[in-house]
Amino acid sequence: MCHSNTDQRLIRLTEDLVHYAVESASARGVQYAEARLHVDSGSAVTLNNGVPEPVQLAREKGIAVRVLVDGAMAFASTNDLSKTSLDKTVETAYRTAKASKRLLSKPIRLSQGKAEQAEWKTETRKSLPDLSTEEKFAILEEIEKTLQPDTVKVALPSRILVLGDNISERYFANTEGANIHGTASRISMLFLITAHEPGKGTIQRIGHRGETGGWERLDEWNLKGSVAEEAATLGRILREGKQAPREELDLVLGPEVTGIVCHESCGHPQEADRILGREAAQAGESYVRPDMLGYRVGSEAVNIVDDPTVPNSYGFYLYDEEGVRASRRTLIKAGRISGFLHNRETGAELGVGSNGAARAVSYDREPIIRMANTFMLPGEYDDAELLDDVRRGVYIKTFMEWNIDDRRYNERYVGLEAYLIEDGKVTVPVRNPVLEITTPGLYGSVDAVGKNVEFEAATCGKGEPDQGAPVWHGGPAIRLRNVRLGG
Amino acid sequence: MDPEQIVEEAVEYGLKLGASEVAASVTHEERKMLRFANNSITVAQSWDQTVPTVYIIFERKRAGARVENPSIEALKEVMNALKAAMDIAKPGEVEASLPKGPFRYEQVPLTYDHRIPEMTNELVDLAQETINAASSEGARRSSGMVLTSQWKRYVKTSAGAEGTDKGTNIELTIRAFVDDDSSGQGNSCATRLEDFDPKRAGAEAGKIARQAKNPVFGEEGKYTVLFGPTIMAQFLGRTADFASAYSVDLGLSFLAGKVGQTVASEKLTLVDDRRMPAGINSCSLDEEGYPTQQTTIIEKGVLKTYLHSSYSVAKYGGVLTGSAFYVGGTWGIAPVALNVIVEPGEHREEELLEKVDDGLFLTNGWYTRFQNYQTGDFSSICRDGAFRIRNGKIEQSLKGLRISDNMPRILRSITALSKKRRWVKWWEVPTPVYLPQMIVEGVGITRATK
Repeated sequence: MCHSNTDQRLIRLTEDLVHYAVESASARGVQYAEARLHVDSGSAVTLNNGVPEPVQLAREKGIAVRVLVDGAMAFASTNDLSKTSLDKTVETAYRTAKASKRLLSKPIRLSQGKAEQAEWKTETRKSLPDLSTEEKFAILEEIEKTLQPDTVKVALPSRILVLGDNISERYFANTEGANIHGTASRISMLFLITAHEPGKGTIQRIGHRGETGGWERLDEWNLKGSVAEEAATLGRILREGKQAPREELDLVLGPEVTGIVCHESCGHPQEADRILGREAAQAGESYVRPDMLGYRVGSEAVNIVDDPTVPNSYGFYLYDEEGVRASRRTLIKAGRISGFLHNRETGAELGVGSNGAARAVSYDREPIIRMANTFMLPGEYDDAELLDDVRRGVYIKTFMEWNIDDRRYNERYVGLEAYLIEDGKVTVPVRNPVLEITTPGLYGSVDAVGKNVEFEAATCGKGEPDQGAPVWHGGPAIRLRNVRLGG
Repeated sequence: MDPEQIVEEAVEYGLKLGASEVAASVTHEERKMLRFANNSITVAQSWDQTVPTVYIIFERKRAGARVENPSIEALKEVMNALKAAMDIAKPGEVEASLPKGPFRYEQVPLTYDHRIPEMTNELVDLAQETINAASSEGARRSSGMVLTSQWKRYVKTSAGAEGTDKGTNIELTIRAFVDDDSSGQGNSCATRLEDFDPKRAGAEAGKIARQAKNPVFGEEGKYTVLFGPTIMAQFLGRTADFASAYSVDLGLSFLAGKVGQTVASEKLTLVDDRRMPAGINSCSLDEEGYPTQQTTIIEKGVLKTYLHSSYSVAKYGGVLTGSAFYVGGTWGIAPVALNVIVEPGEHREEELLEKVDDGLFLTNGWYTRFQNYQTGDFSSICRDGAFRIRNGKIEQSLKGLRISDNMPRILRSITALSKKRRWVKWWEVPTPVYLPQMIVEGVGITRATK
């Protein structure tokens, strides 16, 4: 941990306030109450075309309270940590819950809780405050040096490099006796590069790396090499890229594309709150219905999980924001829907209990069902084997544009780095291949899954007010048979 | 601690640390939100937050912080950290001075309603009213939210600007379903209860949902499209964002390098009007302490200016537009659009429908993503009611459509606008847009192929 002794004392004092809030709610006769303290600190440094932008710092400290009163749920938060303010916050939650009863078609219930007593934190060898601003800028400058036209063989008129870090400390208690202290350190690197070739136009690439842990994780990222390699690739695409085929053919999707597919068309539609309609006016509903467990949506080769416990993952946590222990959730098994992501409310509604998917990104956000790290499990194919018997196809390694309808059925991925496959070999780059397909159409076309799983960091949006949650998505390369590229 | 005292001490402390200039703000906001789904409240939410921000300039070095902890001690701790960072950071490209005050600020009329912060039980009544209105049009179930907010902002800079501002808002979004494939959306937002109409929003959502019954899959092609305000607000709200010098600087704008050039149909005039009476985000000063104003971004198709802060004026030229707010990101304080206003056309809404011989009527959309921000190539999903128009009449409800096109081309292809305008602000349109319906020619439509 990186807080000073004074900070630690203050945090302990604020933990007392968490218990005070729970007791205050309990005294009002609620069915259930929880309180959650967040103490967050973060920074970001940016190089914009080699020039430093303002250093940004962010600090948050506040308490969230949630109460269940006669089957009505209310959430309230404040960053005024006086007892007077906390009393007002609890009273507001209680009153608004009471008021809501009039428009409640059936009481909200929570699945059985367990009075967990736990303390967890991400392992860090080089803690975040140990890296000075000067050192952070030096890291970005080293990357910037690799992005010069003579090195990457293409002009990069716009180069934005952002290095960020964040420590989020949380303390949770509820009327069932749970007391959980969790701390996550995260680092991230975001880059946006625009490549330009006279007569060929521009291409843009946004890349995102992110992990929990300390600055030692940077060593794994090989930023100097990988960002420059991506930039050089953009130049090759501009110079050599041919028009993408618009026909039925075989397709190989790289791990980055497999990851976004798993996130958008498996993770989201299998969030139980969407299935039950809670997000209908915001992020939408789902093509999946509660009775579709066991329903076939893909080939036997497709196995997808969501797992918050992957070490160093960007979406890592060990207890969720309802005090439920995190675990791996299998979402699709051998092509069939095998489970949903649940919080305690949907777990009670569907009679299966929570599987620890409730997350809140800040003290001022309610816990809602979120993915953590969603990925396709590996298969048995080497990357070369995936290509071997493709007579004519396209390999889409990375993407830029994508979207999906709000029932998570009709999706589109536009390739950025992509190549023609001819007689089992990757040949020339192709520009912007468009895959526009349904969810079962995509998963049902998968006939081979690679061995090597890779992850990408992302910020997933959901909820109202919106909550951008850190996640990983990933998987191996996969092969799809007989799909139509269009656009 | 008193917010005025926080900004006062923050500026003083920044100068003591050796800063050449300091801007500080504190925003106190109280909000209440009821969310509902399947005609039933899912959660009541409320917030009471005081958020200081500070922006410090040490000649060509700049730094900023947002501190969700309303104490001067917390702010000073962060300012010490900013100073330490600045001591070793390399200087930036340009030296930008904060606007020199003092300035005179005039409260924008009709932006505060003392009744709004008092509402608690009444929010349940409003939710019930909008759900009932949707049901009376045939909706089987509705989801949405009602939100009230009251805010007060304090700003002080070392350049002599100092002022306060306040406002209220009430917003509602409702999405009504006749069945899983047939839905419609309505919304209402206002600064005063007089202008807020949950019944109209519910009825509109229910009516669209009813019309959207029995949809068939649409076909790919180029279409004349009548865009309803809710979907067009996404595109024009994003266009206003792209007019921020901050977006231009990041390489994330198809408007880069186009000031003075034709970027849209002559039918389109796009304004960021922070002075509009009863405007949803109207306010009297920005967070550099500069008075807000009405800024014409696009006038009859010609891009007139970017939205600016003091830093972007120093970097790109131009004049201040009263658009500088603390956004974090890479600049700290950056120019943002707040009230996007589209000038009206000359047609009744019914006339616009009649003008389309063979085309589409799209009421809503979401998930707009760009393939390349500089060229403006993008796609966006149609959501809720989508209809085939033949001979000026709605013929068939459609589903499974996607707009796959280029934003500058869309802007250049606007051919007609309605006289009637309405405010649109919801989950997918965070910056409020006041706009009419409009016809766009040759819109690319695609759909899933397997």
